[in-house]
Amino acid sequence: MLRVVIVGDKNSGRTTFLGLLYTAQVKSGSDKADDFRFHAAFESLDEITNVFQRLMSGSFPDSATKEGIHEITFRLGYRRPVRGILWRQRSQGWASDAFVSFHLVVLKAFEDEMARPAERSSIADATLRDALSSDAMVVIVDARKLATADEDPPLVPLGKYDAAVESLLSAIQRSRAHGVRALFHPIFVFSKFDRVDPEALRLATLENAPPAVSKKRLRAAYAKALLDRNLPKTMAKLVARERRGLEFAVPSYFFSWVRTHEAVSGGAERVRLRRSGSMGWEPDYSSDEYLAFLECLWDIAAHTKD
Amino acid sequence: MPCALLGDRASGKTTFLGLLYAAQVKYGTGVQDDFRFHAPIGSLNIMSAVYEGMKDGRFPSATLKEEITELGFIFGYLRKLVGKLPYYIRQQNWVRPFSTLRFSAYDVSGEDIEEFIETGIASRPLIQQLLKSVVVAVLVDCSKMTTEIDTPAYKRMLRYDSTVAKLLVSFQTYKKQEYDRLKDSGVSADTPRIYPVFVLSKFDTLRDDVLARLGLHRGFPEDKRSRKEYAEALLRVFVPQTLSQIRGGKVAGVSMDKSAYFLSWVHTETQEGMDPVGQPRIVRTGFSPEGGGEPDFSYDEYVTFIEHFREIAHKIPDEILEAEKFQAQAMLRAAQ
Repeated sequence: MLRVVIVGDKNSGRTTFLGLLYTAQVKSGSDKADDFRFHAAFESLDEITNVFQRLMSGSFPDSATKEGIHEITFRLGYRRPVRGILWRQRSQGWASDAFVSFHLVVLKAFEDEMARPAERSSIADATLRDALSSDAMVVIVDARKLATADEDPPLVPLGKYDAAVESLLSAIQRSRAHGVRALFHPIFVFSKFDRVDPEALRLATLENAPPAVSKKRLRAAYAKALLDRNLPKTMAKLVARERRGLEFAVPSYFFSWVRTHEAVSGGAERVRLRRSGSMGWEPDYSSDEYLAFLECLWDIAAHTKD
Repeated sequence: MPCALLGDRASGKTTFLGLLYAAQVKYGTGVQDDFRFHAPIGSLNIMSAVYEGMKDGRFPSATLKEEITELGFIFGYLRKLVGKLPYYIRQQNWVRPFSTLRFSAYDVSGEDIEEFIETGIASRPLIQQLLKSVVVAVLVDCSKMTTEIDTPAYKRMLRYDSTVAKLLVSFQTYKKQEYDRLKDSGVSADTPRIYPVFVLSKFDTLRDDVLARLGLHRGFPEDKRSRKEYAEALLRVFVPQTLSQIRGGKVAGVSMDKSAYFLSWVHTETQEGMDPVGQPRIVRTGFSPEGGGEPDFSYDEYVTFIEHFREIAHKIPDEILEAEKFQAQAMLRAAQ
């Protein structure tokens, strides 16, 4: 099972991210084409279906829902293409090894934990210990906090977060320094990208929107331009080579957004729902990015299995 | 073999059972005598009371529904080979002439199920019985299918979808655990299978604007594939989590791919240009040599529903007997 930790600072959209990931799976998993299937573990369902219900009714997760979400386990698979005379036997496209399992753990308040110098070497928190045994890390970067002016790294809005992520990556690497050679997969997700300050993009001389999902190289360059300025320590950590133990894989990058209705006179912000061909309604979100994210997890899991 | 009929509060469960009773009364008394129906006295009293009320043009009353705590019935199908035996032999109990399925109706908003969903602990006997089901019939109330997303009906459907999806996953988890337990005991068994059935209840109340927005016509197709496509087009919109978790059974190692779809409607009296005041009255058929004074409902769908389980009933006993045999072997091995 692929173990993935999700880190993000407070209100960076971790719960919404998980809710939209589930929404993307429900949509693909009930699609007419029937090329994708997933199964969520019973223990994970109560919380994630609550988030789904809220998003589908036009609300963001409330604080109680956010508090409840800690981990989610699911298993997914893509149907293998069956061509020629075998096309009738589509159901056989689901081989048992076509499915891979993921365990996603949300790390809460990890910034404070990582900021305590005395305890850095012996991470006490049970959740942080989960991180040490993980195979991949999703780093949620709140796009609203991207720097809009040239500042020294510690002063950028994400400075503290950058230091915490870098510390966590170092701790993971240290914990496996004497183990067998292994790859660790960093995944960056820019959340709330529809709210990014245009000044932050202008500072990095970038277009208003990231390149399409299919243009991987261009997207990587786009994301790197933002991260080198905002998470410099983390990025430096990822390129540093170690001779033994854990090695960091080439990072993957995704951009998440959800369109909203303007809040009416102090009321809560509402998720805008859009008509979706076969699904009826769904939140107006970057569904392509989420589908690409799922494929990315699938690829990592397939390689990890090998 | 236990089978579950799941429905929300006021989703038409009692009406469905009353109409099923009406259908089996007519169908089960045919000359072929290859289908039989049995219900415990408590259930039979309620089902027949519902049926009587319907013959009088009335839907089941709230008081009657409240009386229902556990409602069940048994379908019996004459085994193929037994049907070829002389009459006096096939009447003998030792022949075991009928393959049976034991249905129980469950209210998914009920206390027991809500507690199970919250805690995940199947401590109550009702839940333990539910999890053993090999057939899961899910009632989806078409009157709650709406394109207006700020209405209570839309939200209620969202909640129902989540609850049924969770129940389906708990079925899959239970079956998979049982299967793994057998395998760990060194017993080889077939991949576990659950037979899902969807009943689109109150189909006559499905609104035209909903159908138009989904690009569907009003009539339900007859051939199997078109029925599946039509029903799934509705389920995809209104219970997408349920549909995705049915398909996801394969991922969990429990096949739920053999879904079947039925609809239920009963014609009600309408007066042109006027909304009915209070509970609508049921339209009844006129008298003819075949009978009459019956509620005007989707009889053919109910017969197809009954017939759908014939093959399953014949197949399941073998699977269950095998499983029981395996379990006995496993226990023996553990004891040695």
